[in-house]
Formats: sequence, structure tokens, C-alpha cells
Amino acid sequence: MRVKVDADRCQGHTLCAMAAPDVFELSDFDGHSSVRVEVVRAELEEAVRTAVNTCPERAIEIED
Amino acid sequence: MTRVGDKTSPYHFDRHAPEYRDRFEDITHELHASCPVAWSDTYGGHWVVSRYEEVFELARDHTLLSNDYDPEGTSTGYKGISIPDTPRGRSGFLEMDPPAQQDFRRALDPYLSPAAIARWQPMMDDLSHACLDEWIEAGRIDFVDDFANVVPAVMTLALMGLPLADWEIYCEPVHAIVYTDPSSPTYLEVIEANVAMVTRLAESIFAAREYPRPGIVKGMLEAKICGAPVTDEDIRDTLTLLLGGGFDTTTSLTAHALEWLSEHPGERDRLRAHLPDLIHTATEEFLRYYTPAPGDGRTVTRRHEVSGCVLDANDRLYLSFAMANRDPEVFPDPDELKLDRTNNRHTSFGLGLHRCIGSNLARSVFKSMLTAVLERIPDFVCDPAGAVHYDTVGVINGMKHLPATFTPGRRVGPGLEATIGRWQDILDREPLADAVVRRPQTEQG
Repeated sequence: MRVKVDADRCQGHTLCAMAAPDVFELSDFDGHSSVRVEVVRAELEEAVRTAVNTCPERAIEIED
Repeated sequence: MTRVGDKTSPYHFDRHAPEYRDRFEDITHELHASCPVAWSDTYGGHWVVSRYEEVFELARDHTLLSNDYDPEGTSTGYKGISIPDTPRGRSGFLEMDPPAQQDFRRALDPYLSPAAIARWQPMMDDLSHACLDEWIEAGRIDFVDDFANVVPAVMTLALMGLPLADWEIYCEPVHAIVYTDPSSPTYLEVIEANVAMVTRLAESIFAAREYPRPGIVKGMLEAKICGAPVTDEDIRDTLTLLLGGGFDTTTSLTAHALEWLSEHPGERDRLRAHLPDLIHTATEEFLRYYTPAPGDGRTVTRRHEVSGCVLDANDRLYLSFAMANRDPEVFPDPDELKLDRTNNRHTSFGLGLHRCIGSNLARSVFKSMLTAVLERIPDFVCDPAGAVHYDTVGVINGMKHLPATFTPGRRVGPGLEATIGRWQDILDREPLADAVVRRPQTEQG
């Protein structure tokens, strides 16, 4: 699975980092999200799907 | 063909009426089913958007909907976020559009980001416990007056860099102005208390110009908005917005959560037993279910069709975050509160460019207060006869009082006043309230 955060859509709700802290990193400056790694390890895929479904701005895209 | 909710056949919706609070779930599901975007005949006529999909689509389109407040009619003539419009000052950058609104947020973000808020964890925990210490030997407390009013107020002043001892000057006026009916006999007192508060705020801003202290006030004095320094009026309005946003909302969330946990002692015990596993989902679920700030007004900037309705330029429109949060298409069993709910993409902090800038503070202060209660007085029982909710939920879904009793326990600290004094000493010495400094983004690998 590959994952990315659309920086234009992200508004810093921070829910993705609560769901998958190993994958999403929040900016110290404004709390907006970016991915630590673009390719997700198999054991983290479910957490990333939860993050996708939790994002209020629908800013996270995944490709299986 | 006309249908209910068109301009020719309005749906009567009055969010300021007590009936809306009493019949919230019925009205919400009626709107979802019959007219998710509905024209209401109240307050000069306005659209009401209640279903998640439409709230999502519209709230995120900042070129279609404007937040601008221009009562003098010198530019847009728009009426901001308050429906109906009342004589008042601008709600800071919440009643602005980009680019000025984005400049304000960029100036404030480094005081309110997750990393900035994490620095305050010891102080908020100390305050939560200090409030409980005041009452723990007595075995009774009012969760609003003695607890949930106090911690968010002191923390908000701390972040701003204002004197902590002033918290009582700010606290009650900020709540009372929201819940007091303008026709009630006490309204004049509320206005007088608000005048005293604004006067103290102006004195503190003046003092900060002479002797800048770390915090948001200093940040505003140094900020550039569209290349120019922030005007005195905009500083005052911004700080007033942050006081209102910082106080009443977190208080409301905490009071409602504690009331619900008292009514569901089995769930309270489960939350306490599995706190690290449940606290994040429980916090998001309390946010969704109670939606402390239930919605905002906007002005439509151009003709636009949505779900079969035609919005015209200059139409007023109300985005209901509270009703979107009860949409069964997005939240299974939407009227049930489930502490372990997942996929909870609630809209309680709003959506898009105007998302609540204090959400990280709100969550942290709420979790600190909830954790302290569950640790120190886990068998608390709220008294339904003494619980007082706001009469209406048009602006904030809040509570005025929530008395509770519990098995008495032992104090662990020196009490509230001494704790506030100790933290004032720390803030006088250390730059805890400064903005976080931008660091380079980590390399992506």
C-alpha cells in the first residue's frame, strides 16, 4: 500500500496521527500532516485505512 | 415543482428556540430525510445545511461561502457568521476571508500546534488536580463552576501571556454572555461584567506593548497581516474570539461528558479500566455527540446548485456541524454514544480553512480534566435536579451548573490559588508561552 497526504486539503485535525502514529507525522509548527514513509508495511495497513476513514477533510489517499 | 425547504415553501427552523434543544434528534432526522439543504423563513430567511455530505461540500468551499463581516458596507456588505446579525464587534479572523484570515492563522498556529500544546501538559494536569483538591475532602463539587469553567480559562490566559490571577474577571462574563437571554433582568449585569473584562483586556494589551511577555498577545503585536501590523481593533477582536473559543466550548464538552458518564456508570468504569485504550476514541465521540459549537453562518458569494436547491448570491446559510454529526450515512447508530467508535470523522471543530484553531488545546485540556476525575473521584454521581443546561443551543451547547457528590478523598496539592501562583512564577521565568520555532520537515524516505 502507498499513502500520501494532500497538503492543500489537510487542515491539521490530527486524527490521522492518532490512528496511525507510525505513518503520519504532524508539523510542530501548524499540526498539518505528512507521511513518514510512502510505502506502508503490511501490519500498519489497517491503521492507515482507519486514518483515511477518520480524516474530516478526506485528505489522505491510498493505492493498494 | 415545489418541495418543502424551497424558498417558495420554507421549512420553519429556529435554532435559537428551546424547542430545537428539546427535539434536536427528531428535527435533525426530519431535515436529513426531507430536505438536507432547506430554506428557513426565520431571521430574514436563510439556508440550513444539515446532512454530512452537503456540510462537507459547502464548508470546504471558501470561494462559494464567505465568513466576512462588513457591517459598515464598505466592501462586501456581508454579515459574518451570526444569524441573526446582532450589533457587535467582528469575531476576529473567524469573520474574515483569505488572505488576511490565513495570515492570522499562520501567526497563531505556532502557539496552538500539537507540539506547542504538549509543553503545557504539566500545567493543565496541576490545575485539574488543584480544582479537585479544593473539594475532595467535602465529597461534593460543581463540575461546571468549580472545575470545567476554571481549567480552560486559566490555560487560555496562560497561552495568551495574560496575568493568570485575572481569570475570574474573564471567566464568568465569557460564559454568561452566551447563555443569558437579552430580555432577562440579569442581562445588564452581564454586559457590565463584559465591559469590565474588555477594559482589563485593553489594559493588558497596552501593558504588553510596553513590557512584552511571551504568548499570543505578543505574537499579535509582532504579526504582519497582508504586510501591515495588526490594528488595535483587530488585536482586541482576535483575543476576544480566542477567549470565547477557549472557555465555553471545552467547559461544555467536559460538563456533558461527566454528566453522561454519571448516567452510565458501567461505561464510566469501563473507560476508567481501559483509559489508555479508550481515551482518544471517547474524546472524539463526546465531541461528535455533544458538538459544543453546533454551527456557523456564512454568506453565499455566487449562484450555486446543491442537492436540487439553488443558492443565490448574498443568501445567508447556516452550516450545522451538530446535525451533520448525527448523519446515519456516516455514523452508524448516530444517536448512540459509543466510547470506542472508530472512523469518527466528526465535524465538531468545523471543516476547511476555518477549522477550530484551538482544537489541540481543547482535546488536551478535556483529557486532562477527565483523567483527573477518573483517578481521584471515580464514583462521582451528578445530581440531575441541580444540573442546568443552557436554555437554547443556538450558539453553544453548554451547561451552567452540574453539582456532583462522591466518596471524599485526600488533597494532594496546595489548592487552586497557590497552584495558579506557582505557575505564574514559572511563566515569569521561563518562555513556555513563546511560539514554537519552525524546524525543517523530516526527510521522506
